[in-house]
Amino acid sequence: MLALVVNRLLWGLPVLWLVATLTFALMRAVPGGPFDREKPLPPEIKANVEAKYHLDLPVAQQYLRYLGQLMRGDLGPSYKYLDRDVRAIIAESLPVSAQLGGLAFLVAVVVGLSAGIAAALRPGTWLDRAALVSATIGFALPSFILAVLLILLLAHAWHWLPPALWEGPRHAVLPALALGLGPAAYIARLARTSVLDVSRQEFVRVGRAKGLPPRTVLFAYLLKSGLMPVVTILGPLLAVLITGSFVVEYLFSIPGMGRFFITAVTNRDYPLIMGVTLVYAVVIVVANLAVDLLYGWLDPRIRAQ
Amino acid sequence: MKGGNRIALVSAVVLGLITLAAVTAAWIAPYPFDAQDLTRLLEPPSTDHWLGTDRLGRDLFSRLLYGAQISMTVGVVTALIATAFGVIYGMLSGYVGGRLDNLLMRLIDVVYALPDLLLIILLTVWLGRGLLGMLVALSLVSWVTVARLVRGEVLRLLPLAHIEAAKAVGAGHLRIILHHLLPLIAGPLLVTLSFRIPAAILAESTLSFIGIGLAPPTPSWGSMANEGWAALRFSPHLIIVPSVAIVVTILAFNIFGDWLRDRFDPRRI
Amino acid sequence: MDWTLATDSVSITVIENLMDGLTEFDDRLQPRPAIAARWDVSSDGTTYLFQLREDVYWTDGRRVTAGDFEYAWKRLLDPATAAEYAYFLYDIVNAQAYNTGRITDAGLVGVRALDDRTLRVELNKPIVYFPSITTFVVTFPLRRDLVERYGARWTDPANLVTNGPFTLADWRHEYKVVLRANGAYWQGRPALDEVRMYVVNDRSTALSLYETGGLDLVQLPPEAIPSHESDPQFSRVPMLRGYYYGFDVTAPPFDDPRVRRAFARAIDKAELPKILRGGELPTDSWIPPGMFAHNPAIGLRYDPASARALLAAAGYPDGRDFPAVTAMYDTSPVNTLVAENLQAQWKRTLGVTVELENLEWKVYLKRLSSNPPRLFRLGWGADYPDPDNFMALFTGYSGNNHTRWRHAGYDGLIAQAASTADPARRRRLYDETQRILTEEEVPIIPLFFVSQNYLVNPLVRGVRLNAMELLQLKTVSIQP
Repeated sequence: MLALVVNRLLWGLPVLWLVATLTFALMRAVPGGPFDREKPLPPEIKANVEAKYHLDLPVAQQYLRYLGQLMRGDLGPSYKYLDRDVRAIIAESLPVSAQLGGLAFLVAVVVGLSAGIAAALRPGTWLDRAALVSATIGFALPSFILAVLLILLLAHAWHWLPPALWEGPRHAVLPALALGLGPAAYIARLARTSVLDVSRQEFVRVGRAKGLPPRTVLFAYLLKSGLMPVVTILGPLLAVLITGSFVVEYLFSIPGMGRFFITAVTNRDYPLIMGVTLVYAVVIVVANLAVDLLYGWLDPRIRAQ
Repeated sequence: MKGGNRIALVSAVVLGLITLAAVTAAWIAPYPFDAQDLTRLLEPPSTDHWLGTDRLGRDLFSRLLYGAQISMTVGVVTALIATAFGVIYGMLSGYVGGRLDNLLMRLIDVVYALPDLLLIILLTVWLGRGLLGMLVALSLVSWVTVARLVRGEVLRLLPLAHIEAAKAVGAGHLRIILHHLLPLIAGPLLVTLSFRIPAAILAESTLSFIGIGLAPPTPSWGSMANEGWAALRFSPHLIIVPSVAIVVTILAFNIFGDWLRDRFDPRRI
Repeated sequence: MDWTLATDSVSITVIENLMDGLTEFDDRLQPRPAIAARWDVSSDGTTYLFQLREDVYWTDGRRVTAGDFEYAWKRLLDPATAAEYAYFLYDIVNAQAYNTGRITDAGLVGVRALDDRTLRVELNKPIVYFPSITTFVVTFPLRRDLVERYGARWTDPANLVTNGPFTLADWRHEYKVVLRANGAYWQGRPALDEVRMYVVNDRSTALSLYETGGLDLVQLPPEAIPSHESDPQFSRVPMLRGYYYGFDVTAPPFDDPRVRRAFARAIDKAELPKILRGGELPTDSWIPPGMFAHNPAIGLRYDPASARALLAAAGYPDGRDFPAVTAMYDTSPVNTLVAENLQAQWKRTLGVTVELENLEWKVYLKRLSSNPPRLFRLGWGADYPDPDNFMALFTGYSGNNHTRWRHAGYDGLIAQAASTADPARRRRLYDETQRILTEEEVPIIPLFFVSQNYLVNPLVRGVRLNAMELLQLKTVSIQP
């Protein structure tokens, strides 16, 4: 088990190196540099600036420099805010993205599972149908439309919650809903189908016939088996919540990492682009590993392999 | 099942209408999508502007029709490119197997770990925020899922008896792939294709909504919704119209895709 | 927040409210004394002696001295600092030589603290607007002891020592800045205890925050202007920022001044504010209103008949045989609207079809500096509110002149105007150069000056948005 984890994490290193290399190449291939301004700098000043940030070296050499720096855990300075370094920027914004992603994940799993299981326990009733219809529509609703809808109703019309910013729990509600409800709809549909499948299976009926109380039946068999397909999508889901949060962060003006993709590229803030990309890559690699482990733990057949 | 069929039929009809609107936009739109009438700004729906006008006096109905053209083009072309590339990649990986498979799969790990958004932004900055840039960027981030699916299917099918048999009688690789493997994965592939289309439409409209998608004056539904958002309080129709169009289109594709899946790929839920 | 290195408008706005310099702008954008109580100019106009006030203190209690300015200016010019705005001080003796590494001894640079209260500045030539330059943040004083003690961290809110109306309480990257009143401020404690500024990328989000009471001042997105124009909370401030189209004057067909004049005369600029709706002021001349020597009588008026005649004289009657040209602009909704409008007008008046192409901002900048398109759009915002800043833009030695237009007569007159103290003579020089620029040679077509459109909470009093896009908070108060 431990060997597996270590092995997978070690394999993550070349992946990260390739991600860094690809991003570096792509970002440098795009025309325009960090110090190209509306008012072009006098050549001698541009030379000073480029010398300071080693942008006057050949690109290959800059790449090696960057890798060396990276090895020492140094992500370099931001080229836009010249007295801030990228590590500090990420240290400030990653926790915000993680909080938002975590809250949305909670919304998705709690709302999705309870709606799905509730619907499956009473198949064919109005509850089931209502859940199914709202899940289908919810799944088709882009997060930006959901966000605008929530802002319009809960902030503008009813004045319950602030429409944007990140200043405390009250500010977290709308973005977490905007980000989490779409995946919740998907989970609800998955959970409903699989719980329905399982409850038709022999051993559940046997369990019922044996006279076990319904509650125990539910928790012992339904929940765990119903969870299985949900677990399979947790990896992609987590990735969507982390990387997909940029729209929500943008619309709610949340100081997470998502907005840096846009601003860092428009500013050609090379070190920030690299830093943010690498952090996301690490998150995705680790999330996938975690999901695989969780899956193995839930399904002994896979663990055996 | 019967109810499901009826809904699927309705969504197929809706999709047909949207496609028709997209194809015939140039003929049926009452105005060009960028024609401005500065005397008639921000009007609510009326008889000569069925859905009203925007802040430049452009006819919203016409823009909606051309928007369908954009959305359908982005959706279908992206899905086709992604599927084609994904099939070739996945087939190669699964069929050849061994070292190559290992290498190709590790490469997929890398693409998977690269944030989509970064790729899209960098590519659209580079290629310009026109339709071409958008198509390339979206295709590039969406083939990975298809490739993984195809590889999985191929690995599942290869040991099957009649493919072993075809190999035994010395059938060429290409023949095996085209005549034996491809028909067997056509069902799941069709289902994937039908879900890639709304995914691409969603991605394009989201990017356009936050102002990094298709450049104006292209009547993308996403950028129309964005313009509408700024005028929310006074001209709500500006955001309602494109939003409804986006949701209805994605919904119709999803329902239709569900139906396809039930028919052609019943193993998956 | 390092004011030696600051280039972005967020940092500059914040620093303006944290710090005072030698001079500051009054309501009419004329420099007036701030930390400098007064200044004396030598008779040849090349030496400035700034006399500093004695009652200005840093927030840690130390007095602001002339040495703080000398250190700041030399740090700005030090090539190792690599400050982008170092050229602001290039008019000082040896400043450019030091910044470009031709001399290494900072002692030769013409700025010197004679004592704690006197700063002597020696210029290469008489520069009448020098006290305007010292209003800009990069010239603000610095504490050598603190910069050396904390290194790059000297701007952290915990370490930062300032001398202005507010102190920096918090700063979250690309999100928010919190300012607190400086009780010991020499001009008197500001009325506001605390100011929070948020960086909100989406202007509709900002508007929605304003409407739900989360913000008291917000810039309006263009889409929302029409519906707010009659609101009493609405305010519009014209900016010293011009918008123009430039020609590459070295390549046909625009190497012929008649073609350039025809293109200029063919545009009815009054159409633009109707489309853009942001309070744009159409213009035919280039020095903006609110600046010395503004003269709306200069420039080529809209005149379709003479536009067609000019084009015919250049060999393209009714636009026949006109070569294919492409106008380029950077991708943005406003630029698209302008480009499409001009395209339609040129087609209508001249019968000429101009293709349009847009590029992402930085890609566009790269293109402009490496291989300028035949026809391109650009804007210019004032660095200091003197016509020199607008007019020197199109000299042959200006790095911002992408038209490849070189005119020795123009360059000479501009240099002469910069050193002319007599207002009447100076005005005549600018009239003459404006005529060369916008009537005779026409390397550019000025189109309009832009405005900022804001909503301000009616309880907030004394908000002064000036034409330099600066927001001064020390005079702001809240009605009880």
